[in-house]
Amino acid sequence: MSARSSIAGVCVFAAMVSIAAQPQRERTWVAPPAADSRHNPLNEEAEILAGGSKLFRQRCALCHGQDGTGTNRGPNLMTRHVQHQSDGALFWKISSGNTRTGMPGYSFLPEVQRWQLVSHLRAQARE
Amino acid sequence: MATRAHLAVSVALTFCSITSASAQEPAYFVTYDHYLEERGNLEIAVATTTGLPTSGRHAYTAPWLELEYGLTGWWTAELYLEGVTTRGDGNAFTGWRFENRFRPLKTEHPVNPVIYVEYEAVNEASRIQKEIVGAGGVEFEPIDELKDEHERELEAKLILSSVARGWNVSENFIVEKNFSADEGLEFGYAVGVSRPLGTLARGRSCLVCPENFAIGLEMYGGLGSTEGFAGTDQRHYLAPVVGWTLSGRTSVKASVGLGLTDTSDRYLLRFGVAYELPIRTRQ
Repeated sequence: MSARSSIAGVCVFAAMVSIAAQPQRERTWVAPPAADSRHNPLNEEAEILAGGSKLFRQRCALCHGQDGTGTNRGPNLMTRHVQHQSDGALFWKISSGNTRTGMPGYSFLPEVQRWQLVSHLRAQARE
Repeated sequence: MATRAHLAVSVALTFCSITSASAQEPAYFVTYDHYLEERGNLEIAVATTTGLPTSGRHAYTAPWLELEYGLTGWWTAELYLEGVTTRGDGNAFTGWRFENRFRPLKTEHPVNPVIYVEYEAVNEASRIQKEIVGAGGVEFEPIDELKDEHERELEAKLILSSVARGWNVSENFIVEKNFSADEGLEFGYAVGVSRPLGTLARGRSCLVCPENFAIGLEMYGGLGSTEGFAGTDQRHYLAPVVGWTLSGRTSVKASVGLGLTDTSDRYLLRFGVAYELPIRTRQ
């Protein structure tokens, strides 16, 4: 294997990294109406909320901030626009993600953990 | 003895990279699902494939370094650097690969397609076996000879991935063209099922609890080429896989592949560790 081709490969990869797209925001991302009919099956026990908080720190805080108020990578989740959405709509967005905005989908997490994230978002907004 | 020493060094190097760090690693080595790298995150992974062939062949370990970057929410690029070390037959750098995965749909659907395109500049000593195509076994000529036989290959995959009742089910259809030899188009496949072990997330952090583990089962192999199906000469493997998220961004996975045909190695042991690094972030 020639060193030149290896270096070329590394350079191409580095160039692609450097042209990474700027964050995009999409104001019209709306969950399908059927999502609203789903209700959070979890109660607000301390252990459930603590688990949701831990998951948020692990999965979401990098983009949305530790307190969910947003960074340049992800929007503020404490706004009225977000909090007025139904639990089912938030659950759908967490599960599905949106490749156009860069929001990853978390359907690989167990369903109950995605509901814990919804519970955490509600609890965080009340603080 | 030499192989054992190489394995020890590989494992040591691997664990050196473990620090505290949110991984999104599926419990697969060969099969791809529809989860791309998060935009702006760089994942650095080190992994090995250790082949235990049938008697009379040299055991080998093929380590590789993987740099995976989320360019956008729908485009992930990856660079691989790979090598090989064999028991009693030396070592070699076996080349590099550059892959791109594109997810055309905005949101999640019952079946989520991903388009995969990869260019490979490897030599015939390459044994990482991140995909298996065509027919025939691994080349067992001396490494010194094989490393001088260069290959330029273009590979495409159609990845289909679904989530059903907590299980991920993924199917990959592979076609590869070697521009360095007159081999026609070679075909292969990989299918896998995987699921996380945990249910409710605990409030406190824990290292060894079910929510940190995922298990899976992969099957992969070659499906001949346009030159012929060569059913009796194909390699196929069935491989249970386990993935463990150590802390936030670091994950480890391991797999034992069982060779299903005479042409396959008896076992393919795989081990890998990945660390996810957010490199485009400003508060």
